Amino acid sequence: MSIHNYCDGMKRRDFIRVGSLATGSLTLANYLRMADAGQVKDGYATSGIFIDLSGGPSHIDTFDPKPDAPEGIRGDFKTIPTCVPGIQISEHLPKMAKNLDKYVILRGVSHTLAAHNLGSEYVNTGSRPLASLEYPGYGAVLCKERPVASDIPAFVAIPNSGQRSGFLGIQYAPLNTGASPQAGKPFNVRGISLGAGVTVEQLDRRQNLLKDLDHTFASMENRDQLLTGLDRFSDKAYSMLTSERARYAFDVSKEDAKFAAQFGTDSFEQSCLLAVRLIESGVRFVSLRVGGWDNHTDIFNNLSTKLLPKLDGGVSALLTGLEQKGLLGSTSVMVTGEFGRTPKVNTRATLGGRDHYPRCMFMLMAGGKIRGGQVIGQSDETASGPANEAITPSDAAASFYHNLGIDPKQEFQTETGRPIMLVRDGNVIPQLFA
Amino acid sequence: MSKIGYLSTVNTKMHTILRMVKTSVFAFAFKQSSMAIALVIGSWIPVFADAPIASLETRFKPNSQGVAETTEVPDFQRHVSPLLGRMGCNGRACHGSFQGQGGFTLSLFGYDFDADHKALLDSDAGRVDTKDPLVSLILTKPVDADMHEGGQRFKKDGWEYWVLRKWIEAGAPKSPQAKDAENQKLVRLDVTPLEIQFDARDKTQTLNAIAIWEDGTKEDVTSLCRFSSNDTSIANINEKGLVTSGEVGDTHVVVSYDSAVVPVSVLRPVGVPGQLRQQIANSKTEIDRLVLKKLDKLGILPSGNATDAEFFRRVSLDVAGTLPTSDQVRQFLDDTSPDKRSKMIDKLLASPGYAAWWTTFLCDMTGNNDDQLRNFSPLAQNSSQHWYQWIYARVAANVPYDKIVEGIVTAVSREPDESYAEYCEKMTEINSDKTGKSYADRSGLMYYWARTNQRTAEERAISFAYSFCGVRIQCAQCHKHPFDQWSKQDFDQFERLFDGVTANQNSYMPESKEDVEKMLTDLGLAKSLKGNDLRKKLEEVVRDGKTIPFPEMYVRLSKIPDSKGKDKKDKEKNAKKQAAAQKKYPVARLLGAEYVDLSTVSDPRAPLMEWLRRKDNPYFAKAIVNRVWAHYFQVGIVSPADDLNLANAPSNAELLDYLANGFIEHGYDLKWLHRTILNTETYQRSWTTNETNQLDRRNFSHALLRRLPAETAYDALRIALSNDKEAQSLCALESDRAMTMPGASAQNKNGKYGASNYALTVFGRSIRESNCDCDKSSDPSLLQTVFIRNDSDVLKAMNDPKFSWLAQVAKEHNLTPIRTNAEPSVPKRMEKAQAVRTSEDYDRDIRKYRKQLQILESKEGSEKAIRDVKSRLALSEKRLQELTLAKDKSSKSESQSESEPVYLSNVSPKSEGRLSDEVSAKIIEEIYLRTLSRKPTSVEMETSQKAIAVAETPLNGISDVLWAVINTKEFILNH
Repeated sequence: MSIHNYCDGMKRRDFIRVGSLATGSLTLANYLRMADAGQVKDGYATSGIFIDLSGGPSHIDTFDPKPDAPEGIRGDFKTIPTCVPGIQISEHLPKMAKNLDKYVILRGVSHTLAAHNLGSEYVNTGSRPLASLEYPGYGAVLCKERPVASDIPAFVAIPNSGQRSGFLGIQYAPLNTGASPQAGKPFNVRGISLGAGVTVEQLDRRQNLLKDLDHTFASMENRDQLLTGLDRFSDKAYSMLTSERARYAFDVSKEDAKFAAQFGTDSFEQSCLLAVRLIESGVRFVSLRVGGWDNHTDIFNNLSTKLLPKLDGGVSALLTGLEQKGLLGSTSVMVTGEFGRTPKVNTRATLGGRDHYPRCMFMLMAGGKIRGGQVIGQSDETASGPANEAITPSDAAASFYHNLGIDPKQEFQTETGRPIMLVRDGNVIPQLFA
Repeated sequence: MSKIGYLSTVNTKMHTILRMVKTSVFAFAFKQSSMAIALVIGSWIPVFADAPIASLETRFKPNSQGVAETTEVPDFQRHVSPLLGRMGCNGRACHGSFQGQGGFTLSLFGYDFDADHKALLDSDAGRVDTKDPLVSLILTKPVDADMHEGGQRFKKDGWEYWVLRKWIEAGAPKSPQAKDAENQKLVRLDVTPLEIQFDARDKTQTLNAIAIWEDGTKEDVTSLCRFSSNDTSIANINEKGLVTSGEVGDTHVVVSYDSAVVPVSVLRPVGVPGQLRQQIANSKTEIDRLVLKKLDKLGILPSGNATDAEFFRRVSLDVAGTLPTSDQVRQFLDDTSPDKRSKMIDKLLASPGYAAWWTTFLCDMTGNNDDQLRNFSPLAQNSSQHWYQWIYARVAANVPYDKIVEGIVTAVSREPDESYAEYCEKMTEINSDKTGKSYADRSGLMYYWARTNQRTAEERAISFAYSFCGVRIQCAQCHKHPFDQWSKQDFDQFERLFDGVTANQNSYMPESKEDVEKMLTDLGLAKSLKGNDLRKKLEEVVRDGKTIPFPEMYVRLSKIPDSKGKDKKDKEKNAKKQAAAQKKYPVARLLGAEYVDLSTVSDPRAPLMEWLRRKDNPYFAKAIVNRVWAHYFQVGIVSPADDLNLANAPSNAELLDYLANGFIEHGYDLKWLHRTILNTETYQRSWTTNETNQLDRRNFSHALLRRLPAETAYDALRIALSNDKEAQSLCALESDRAMTMPGASAQNKNGKYGASNYALTVFGRSIRESNCDCDKSSDPSLLQTVFIRNDSDVLKAMNDPKFSWLAQVAKEHNLTPIRTNAEPSVPKRMEKAQAVRTSEDYDRDIRKYRKQLQILESKEGSEKAIRDVKSRLALSEKRLQELTLAKDKSSKSESQSESEPVYLSNVSPKSEGRLSDEVSAKIIEEIYLRTLSRKPTSVEMETSQKAIAVAETPLNGISDVLWAVINTKEFILNH
């Protein structure tokens, strides 16, 4: 999967360090104690999948069509009915239409950040970005709250993720696969199975020796996130290398042929297959990223020939696959871009496009306790904004966390001891769970 | 609360100058003098320059009946537009959106006064109704939360309402002050205080802002400014300019008005200020003095001096990107001369590692991306190599930085007086040498302008600003820069300087075209060949030693039709006739400096270069010294280092100025810059911290732990694992290194640089793609950890029979080599089968074979069978013996191992003689020196010796220690 550059050339916000010099910082040990006392509630989802449509997909041409809007707004696509009477979506999403019973469409989601990096940070964390503080992504929070078996990575990003670990520290950062699986071919993340000829005993011996020798920075270990993170990675690497589990989980070619056949051959669809497999193997959180949605020009060709077919095939197979394996009830799924796109089709180029538009966008949510088959929220007649009260990405985030049994109002502390509410201004959307 | 405040005003003469200002202010009081003057409406009145007009808030304050009595007409640029901005009207989510809101669009973050004025006065929309002012939507909507989606912005009896109302009632003029369409020029925004020092949490301080215009008027605009904080945990600022203190530390709050952006430093000390006076007075260098001065204000005590070993490893990795060899470390540690550190700095600056590492640095900065160079030269695979060599030669020769940049900025393909044919001959010759070294003899680096992703004028403007000014100007491509002075117009006019630059697959100067055709005919190539087909053919013929045509990078300015003045009809009528006359050069302007008349220059990049070189250029020197500083200290004085903007103030402005000025004064001498930084106590401080500086990350009070950059990390691993000869060759750059790889890009699929590619990607080598220093990453990750522990590249390098240090040790000490790990699965199965065989099994076999032998020996012609059985018998006897021996030893070691560390418990006994303590100590010391550049501590020595003593074989033990040490945090971190 290629890396997509955005129109403003920014890939991510530079990590700005907190300049604060306050002492009395919270140590990792405290974090862990809090995590161990974590509230894992019965019946809630225990793992999560986040699909990042990076670049900002058009809402009008996908899940929030406006067939009656004037030309120049409604776009080139027709709509089709879904399995839920009265709900229509774009003609290029037939499989998603058939499977609407499994997920919810949020319409009229609205925020104000029209730059890729800021918008992306917002939807990946649920809190509006602050200059002085980096919020952790969902995956990092979940991994911190719900530790996994040590021989499997807690958080995997295919091929990489907009979710950083923020103030929680790099030990909660995702393992980036760096590549996407290809249909029918063995897939492995390089280095995660034991090197040729190295025995478990040897690695064991070496790891113990390493522990005895790695003491130079002992005096600072609790105070430096870099050191804490490196230690965590060391333990994790050891556990993963000495077990077959991780390697097996990543190898999509080991999947049952009939099951795998539901997923198309596109690398995004194969990534969806990998996501299901990883969740089944005990990975806590999987983040998928599929770019190319920043369609300032030639939007209709791009959507109908490239983007929507793989989105349609991949996400529908992912939801169906989770259901078949009995995992949909325990997996909270969210699909979103960083913003919607302008209702007006611009005419700067011969083949027009749509520009950044945070005021109105869509999101999809599924799994866990979420009741599929409904549309929540509504945009106005030209999809220029919410028709009534807006749903914010913070509300969606609060709901996503709630679905995972994590209290969105929970307080965390930064390295400098500053108390931070997990989701600053979000409220759980009750209809999702009704 | 203590407060340090002073005006940024320098020109004190201004205070005494009398200015005539036309104003229609009815009456106002001078803020600083006690004079009050009654004024004649609408006439020229004298105003003292040091007496600012009171704020709009005061002048338009409604009386008790809720009516503002003033007859003043607010100014659009000075008052109305900033007021709309401050109320958030032109924000991204509201009317500043490119799509507008409710059909009403303002320019994002303001400053496009023409467009905004037009949008407000659009006669059909009714936003401003000059005939019936009170029904104007901009008065009725913002006061009504129900009607206005953006909520209530002001109250009907507020001063804001009255400013807008009075403006509309006066006919909503664009500007009563400026006669033409030009914007009024803001000379300065004086903010007081410019520095705030708090001594406790929740203390407050009000800011005051005075605008000074070109016509001499001064006005209190505090109530029209936008305020923001760079770190809300240290300082909060509200919309009225009230700063509230938070945690200890230092940051800036930012005041914006019109084109001005003014940072105000806010500081709350950690400890007790004033403790460092003596140290400051005694500091040996100016850098140390300036750093200590800032630390003293914060009450931070700096860390002490790093040890010699720490310093040597740090400086070698930082300056030359190279891990020192064990011999070098020994020599340095044994050296007793007092100036050995500064001598070492000089030595490193003269090493080939320095040249390669800083060439890589400049290749990152200028974007040497092989993927983007595929569509220029027909022999594209050599382009990034040329780029690298061109810079390398200059860095190695310490060519002044401005000269290097000049060669890039003003590059064209041909040397002066070089004909097209000569150019092609030369390029053919250069390309015949795979190293590309002779490209360094060319005076210009044309490839900078030939990248596919930097081909439009705007892309080139952005890339230029990033590379040489450290400025992210791209925001202004579409709207006013939110953190800087740049407007969209500034960007457009700056962009025009790059218009005529041409460099692509088919770019030939018009006068060369004939030559090109002739050459192609002479080479026997069909005219119909185009693009990649032509390129393939050219690659073929060049192999036969023939000269082929090369595209040219050149500059040709063109006029554009003049759209101003004439209306459309007029134009069409006389289109042909007047076309030539109406064409003229577009308006071009240097960033924040004067206009460039394009009719008088043949290459606008020349004035651009001249501007970079000016002593007062605010970016050129600062950008590079700050980047170099950031390389040595992990954070820049301005951070991020590639984002010099007004709001992103330096953590130590004096320090940045000192370095930039010194750099210019020393003729842009890069080695001076390195030497000056490296020879300071500040650079040579320890990483260990004290109570006051443990959380400091921006004031350079201690060395910050940082992961080795990708290239350095990979090379360090190779050097540490290679035998002495190979390591030396790597250090001397006689072998290829990660930092001698010329190009980089995100596309690593072809693996043209072999094994290093994967590793460098995992460790975050720059992809040189998006005009951002963040193209490279120094974040650690799980995959990096996994790589060093387990990747086949590392394991191979560690055990390589020819090149590895382990193999060398085995040879030197006559040790059994470790069986290579690349054993296939068959022997593994055999091992398993043997494992289950007991001594009884072997006993039985031996008896069986002996019996067989007896039978066979009695028969004739069975020599072959006898030989076969004899060998089996011998093997079984040997196995039995081994097994018995092993059993004896394991029972012995089991009894010893109870008090041993964990890692010893499951080790099988050694089957080879122990190394003497002396030998193993030597080997362990060597491991530490070649990896961590220091001698092991006694505890480390003891642990390692034990590990070697109990290992299966001594070499196994040694390899375990080596593995463990390269996997310590100390190895991968520069400290």
